[in-house]
Amino acid sequence: MTNIFQPISAEIIKTIDETPNIRTFVLRPEQEVPFLAGQFIELTMPGFGEAPFTPSSSHFNRDLIEMTIMKVGRATGALFNFKVGDKVGIRGPYGARYPLEKFEGRDIYIVGGGVGLAPLRALFLALTHEIDKYGRVFLRYGARTPADIVYKYLIPEWEKLKKVDIDLSVDVSDEKWMKKVGVVTCLMDEIPCNEAESIAVVCGPPIMMKFVTMKLLEAGFQGQNIYLSMETNMSCGLGQCGHCKLGPYFTCKDGPVLTWDQVKGIPDPFV
Amino acid sequence: MKPRFLPTEKQKAWLSVLVADRVVFFPAIIKDQVHWQRLDPGMLGAADAPEWGLERIRASEPVKSFFFNPREKVATFPDKFVSPEPEKRVLFGASACDAVALRVNRKMFVEGDFKDEAYARRRAATCVVVADCPSPADTCFCNLVGNRPFAGDEEKDEADVALSVVEGGWVLEPLTGRGEELLGSSQAVEATEAQLAARQASREAAGKRLAEVNPKRFAPDTADRIWQRNQDKEFWSKHAADCVECYGCLMACPTCYCFLLYDKARGQGEMERTKVWDACYIAAYARVGGGANPRAEFVKRFYNRFFCKFSHFKTWQGMPACSGCGRCTAVCMGKIDVRKVVLDVLQ
Repeated sequence: MTNIFQPISAEIIKTIDETPNIRTFVLRPEQEVPFLAGQFIELTMPGFGEAPFTPSSSHFNRDLIEMTIMKVGRATGALFNFKVGDKVGIRGPYGARYPLEKFEGRDIYIVGGGVGLAPLRALFLALTHEIDKYGRVFLRYGARTPADIVYKYLIPEWEKLKKVDIDLSVDVSDEKWMKKVGVVTCLMDEIPCNEAESIAVVCGPPIMMKFVTMKLLEAGFQGQNIYLSMETNMSCGLGQCGHCKLGPYFTCKDGPVLTWDQVKGIPDPFV
Repeated sequence: MKPRFLPTEKQKAWLSVLVADRVVFFPAIIKDQVHWQRLDPGMLGAADAPEWGLERIRASEPVKSFFFNPREKVATFPDKFVSPEPEKRVLFGASACDAVALRVNRKMFVEGDFKDEAYARRRAATCVVVADCPSPADTCFCNLVGNRPFAGDEEKDEADVALSVVEGGWVLEPLTGRGEELLGSSQAVEATEAQLAARQASREAAGKRLAEVNPKRFAPDTADRIWQRNQDKEFWSKHAADCVECYGCLMACPTCYCFLLYDKARGQGEMERTKVWDACYIAAYARVGGGANPRAEFVKRFYNRFFCKFSHFKTWQGMPACSGCGRCTAVCMGKIDVRKVVLDVLQ
């Protein structure tokens, strides 16, 4: 009998402090978790609760799963006290994957904010793993300060990849910062791809998602080509418990990535 | 499968057989309310046994409680939890609206992308005898949501036997093989034309009563019109004004499927996960870990209930997530009548 509420065990084998309140946990699950970019996993912090996170590692390497997590509440607060060697629980994968077959042959314009780069990294790695299938990959990423940028140690390597174009901004700079200062939309004044045909993928705080979406629409992106990671209270991951309902969607089942065309009729989709 | 007749004097013998190897629940009248009660063998024929409420409306408790437990352990960590083997049960005297509610539960918990095995096993181990509802109450509106006050072939997905109280006994119509098997242990004989005519007359009278209670019908485009009203805060606020947020309507509802999973620490690195009924009216229901809440205002939560039941579920599953049982109206301290709200949308 399959128990849909039962997590399997995963060992924390490494942690990486990304920022003062964001940490990457590298997990080795007791059995392979067959996730695809865009899908998420319910992570059990034994005794402290369960919460949904999208893996930030490549789906081409599933022996280990990386999850980059911001400390925001009770469960994530407890998780930050877990050490290498501790066991956590995993259920999943859940939700819909990015429809990569629809991305083939097109430019892909990725916009991330803060810890929102974590799920986008899984997509970025999937795209660059088979880059010949796609057009160019643009990554536009904004953080509050240079210290709040995640994957600082990886971005220089990503910039060297074929057909990849990366630009960064921070809301508040320091003396060493050489790139743009401002919210992430300041990187979007010139969009170097064919907006009508290209794919846009956005993940970040709801307010950032709202303004980035407006900017993308203004630039000429099609609503069906704008993929948004909707932030709702995904709890069971099974499309049953009801908490993540967003208009006619269970985001844990139909999302968490939905297109603008799917969400545009919903009152206040970005809260 | 032909309807049978079981005379009153032979009912006790049949129930004795059923209760010998199954757990049987029946609708008991307690303080003039109908409540599900376990049938102990000693109750059969006992002078102080509760009166049966087969001719009353549905029990106060939603039928989902038998399968979708109000509180249930569902997982443990690191050891893996297996739910216990369900007992064989008979719900003897559910209502037709209960059968419809079970259909909603099945669509959510059994037929979706993920099957809740514990629910499915409990449901499979339970035989449901649906009794006709000869006297619908003022709160009943099964006719407005496409249902009827008795079970037949249309309800056989969730009803095994249709029971009708007629003069001198019960007309029992098996609707499934399992119902046929259940009836096999009785001394029922083929029902006469007169008995079937009496059943028909009672059913028609119940239908007439429902038409009187609910003279206005829900329009075929109810689902669309509720969705189109999603921005009309003034409208929904008017109807939500008397709600005291007790969540009674949602707890009494047999089709509300929401639940909360919460984990308790058992020891270092160990946990026990419990699944409890939840209610979308609760302020923190949709709140995310970081504190943002898409339905922080009550009026949005109030709208969400109507959207979920009468619009989204209908569009998605082809039926509203409402059986018309009227429990929500019956328990509401603010006297909010779900029918009136929907009919007002359609004005």
